[in-house]
Amino acid sequence: MADHHVIIDNLVKTYPGAQKPSVDHVSFSLPRGEMLALLGPSGCGKTTILRMIAGLIAPTSGAIRLDGEDVSSIAVYKRNMGMVFQAYALFPHMTIARNISFGLEMRKVGRAEREERVRKALDLVKLTGLGDRKVSQLSGGQQQRAAIARSLVIEPELLLLDEPLSNLDAKLRDEMRDEIRDIQARTGVTAIFVTHDQDEALSMADRLAVMSAGRLEQIGTPREIFDRPQTEFVASFIGAGTVFEGKVTEHGLAMVEDLKELRFVGDAPLGSPVKLMIRPHRLRLLTDAGQPNRFSGTVEHIVYRGQTLTLNVRCGSRLLQADLPTHAGMLPERGSTVTLSVAPEDVTLVGQVSP
Amino acid sequence: MQENALLARITWNTLITLLYFFLLAPIIIVFIISFDTRQYLAFPPESFSLGSYVKVFHNAKFISAFWRSLIIGGIVGVVAVSAGMLLSLSLVRYKFRGRAAVNFLILAPFLVPHIVLAVGIMLVIAPLGLLDSYPGIVLAHLGITIPYTVRTITMSLMAVDTRVEEAALVHGASPRMVFWRITLPLVRPGLIAGGVIAFLISFDEATISLFIVSVKASTLPTEIYHYLEYSTDPQIAALSVILILISVGVVVAVEKLIGLRRAL
Amino acid sequence: MSAAATAPTATSSTSAASRGILLMLLLPGLVALVITFLLPLIWLLRASFTSSTMSAFGGGDLTTQSYSTVLFDPFYWRVTWNTLVLGFNVAIFAVVLSYPIALFLARTESRFRGVLTALAVAPLLTSSVVRTYGWMVILGDRGVINSTLQSLSVTSGVIKLTNNSFGATVALIEILMPYAILAMLSGFGRLNAQLEEAAAMLGANRFKVFTRIILPLSLPGVLTAALLVFVLAISSFVTPRLMGGGRVFVLGTEVFNEATVTLNWPLAAALSVMLLVLFSSIILLYQRALRALEA
Repeated sequence: MADHHVIIDNLVKTYPGAQKPSVDHVSFSLPRGEMLALLGPSGCGKTTILRMIAGLIAPTSGAIRLDGEDVSSIAVYKRNMGMVFQAYALFPHMTIARNISFGLEMRKVGRAEREERVRKALDLVKLTGLGDRKVSQLSGGQQQRAAIARSLVIEPELLLLDEPLSNLDAKLRDEMRDEIRDIQARTGVTAIFVTHDQDEALSMADRLAVMSAGRLEQIGTPREIFDRPQTEFVASFIGAGTVFEGKVTEHGLAMVEDLKELRFVGDAPLGSPVKLMIRPHRLRLLTDAGQPNRFSGTVEHIVYRGQTLTLNVRCGSRLLQADLPTHAGMLPERGSTVTLSVAPEDVTLVGQVSP
Repeated sequence: MQENALLARITWNTLITLLYFFLLAPIIIVFIISFDTRQYLAFPPESFSLGSYVKVFHNAKFISAFWRSLIIGGIVGVVAVSAGMLLSLSLVRYKFRGRAAVNFLILAPFLVPHIVLAVGIMLVIAPLGLLDSYPGIVLAHLGITIPYTVRTITMSLMAVDTRVEEAALVHGASPRMVFWRITLPLVRPGLIAGGVIAFLISFDEATISLFIVSVKASTLPTEIYHYLEYSTDPQIAALSVILILISVGVVVAVEKLIGLRRAL
Repeated sequence: MSAAATAPTATSSTSAASRGILLMLLLPGLVALVITFLLPLIWLLRASFTSSTMSAFGGGDLTTQSYSTVLFDPFYWRVTWNTLVLGFNVAIFAVVLSYPIALFLARTESRFRGVLTALAVAPLLTSSVVRTYGWMVILGDRGVINSTLQSLSVTSGVIKLTNNSFGATVALIEILMPYAILAMLSGFGRLNAQLEEAAAMLGANRFKVFTRIILPLSLPGVLTAALLVFVLAISSFVTPRLMGGGRVFVLGTEVFNEATVTLNWPLAAALSVMLLVLFSSIILLYQRALRALEA
């Protein structure tokens, strides 16, 4: 951790007059070249963290370390960060080339070198030859590429992206997602981006930091976050799932409400109350009678989604959602009774219930 | 029914045309008279010439008043825009106690008749020895022009996306650089519109000027006023045409350059 | 100057540095406005209570002498009356003549709409002295109207159209019409063709569409225009002075006369205060009327 490129250390931001801090003792770190997503619902403090790292707002306490040096007292324009804003914030009175060369001019880079680097940056973001265009002559996707070029051309310590895809339409969004990932990988720049969209975070980031109400809930690879959410918030924010409360009766076995027992993989002391979550797509129609974790119930609702079939199965007082592959042979009908099962390793311990 | 509608249409269009004619009558008549050959006011002109224009250009009093008006208008424009820019920045970008009071002070000159202001300003600057002086008339015109420049510049400033300024900051521009390279160019339409309006108000203003200046700092409108007290000959018509052309020229040039209506 | 950029933080914090910047931003403009607006009003009030022995450099005793002149001298009663009559006449005619133009501009779909609007307000770009001169040319003893009438042998003598309040009124109507048109145009925002079409489809004839739809909707704009023209008319002096040829006495001309000819500054100040009081009470009345109209 000490040799990590970026270290966020106990960052706190309390706005004047506010009762609660907007950012509450958040710590995380990134190795060089990593792309980290700050994910959370709006108002969770993710953008505030990004703006503190950029230097646009001052933290109430805590440190932002780049290569071990605390930069939190360095003025915003001396921090050497690159930032892509939500609505791109290109300078409307300048051409694309001037936009990109702005940071270089501020750094007093010579004209010849400036032109060369702007040209390379335009190539990098596939805007070759469009440098003389006005901002208004570019499409949304092109404007975003220009904004990325503007922030990368200065070879920043860190690339910050604030909801970079939210202003694009759905099709362009998928395209730019891969594009941004590709550019980041090619330049090797350490990057942090803010998003409220879990798909975006899962598909673009090396690791995700999930935030809620100013606090960091969990940080990990997309897989860890998705398959092993550590809190109920993370479990419910990322992907769908049904959460059960119960009590541990023996190692890896819990009695849960309305169901007899549920086997899970994870450490929880005997007798402790726990929350367990099952993802819809981890449920299977029962084939092998010897399997544990069986649920029988009536199909209340069926939605055909092409590749999957979503069932709402009534198990006692709970509605269990299951996503089944449509090629699974015999498919249940509405009103029929089905038995579903789930492997113990797919039952996730998402938190201890506070007694 | 059909005929009725047609008749109504014709009546309506005729009415509008007549009203336009009434509205523009003095300007049209002045334009015609300015080419009359005779030395005295009469209508219709007997023959046409540029004699009145030639006389205006040989009238030393008018020529020097013209230059004074131009200089005073220019100074008023620049100062009103500068002060307006600073005031707008403070009003748009800061929240502070007394903001409402400042806002009121800026809007209030709209609510007081010019002639009342004129007497007041005269009373204030007379003991300072500024009556009939450049500083005196410039000061007097500032009070009535700053409200306009603040208005146009504030509109422009509010349209500037602060994220754009933040983007400049993050990418290495110091606050001073952000001001000169980003904020100022982006509010330029408002600055130019405000400057033009301030210039035109000062250039055309007669009421306040008549109280403040007499000989040394007399402006063109005051010279025309005093001349008209005794004579209405076609020389004034020629001068009026020149003044109208200057005003229209300035507005058209600005409209062509930046689109005045967008700036307003 | 750095305020522009630090603004997002500055709006929420009031550090000593940003307060310093704020002060620098405010100072030049405020000083100018205090000198050219606030101080003049205070000086005006003070001078109006000073005896007529005051000079440019002050002096004079505290007295209400000027006010007793303004309030009790029958001459100034007549001046005030003349002013109000001039104001009402100008306001009524300017509004009546501007209304069709504003209505036309608000509803026309002509591609010349921009040009026609510009033409209607273009006279604002011309000094009122110049436009007054235009009217002297039109209405003067040897002006357009008299020459035409004589050459057509309709009249033999001169019809007195200037050097009286008629000329002043006509000129002021025309000079203030662009303001009325502008005020009405911005007040006509609620008018639209769809409303009229809807009314027509519901069976209203042209006259009813006008009285039931257009007129009520445009009334606030009309009221604003009337107020604007009225207050501008009662405080005018260049046009009444030149068109009246010294024979039209209104508050504006008397203020100018006392201030620059008689040099009785306390009286000029008291007359100005009088004008200001008139001005403010009309604006208060207007606000009442507007509220009543909207309720």
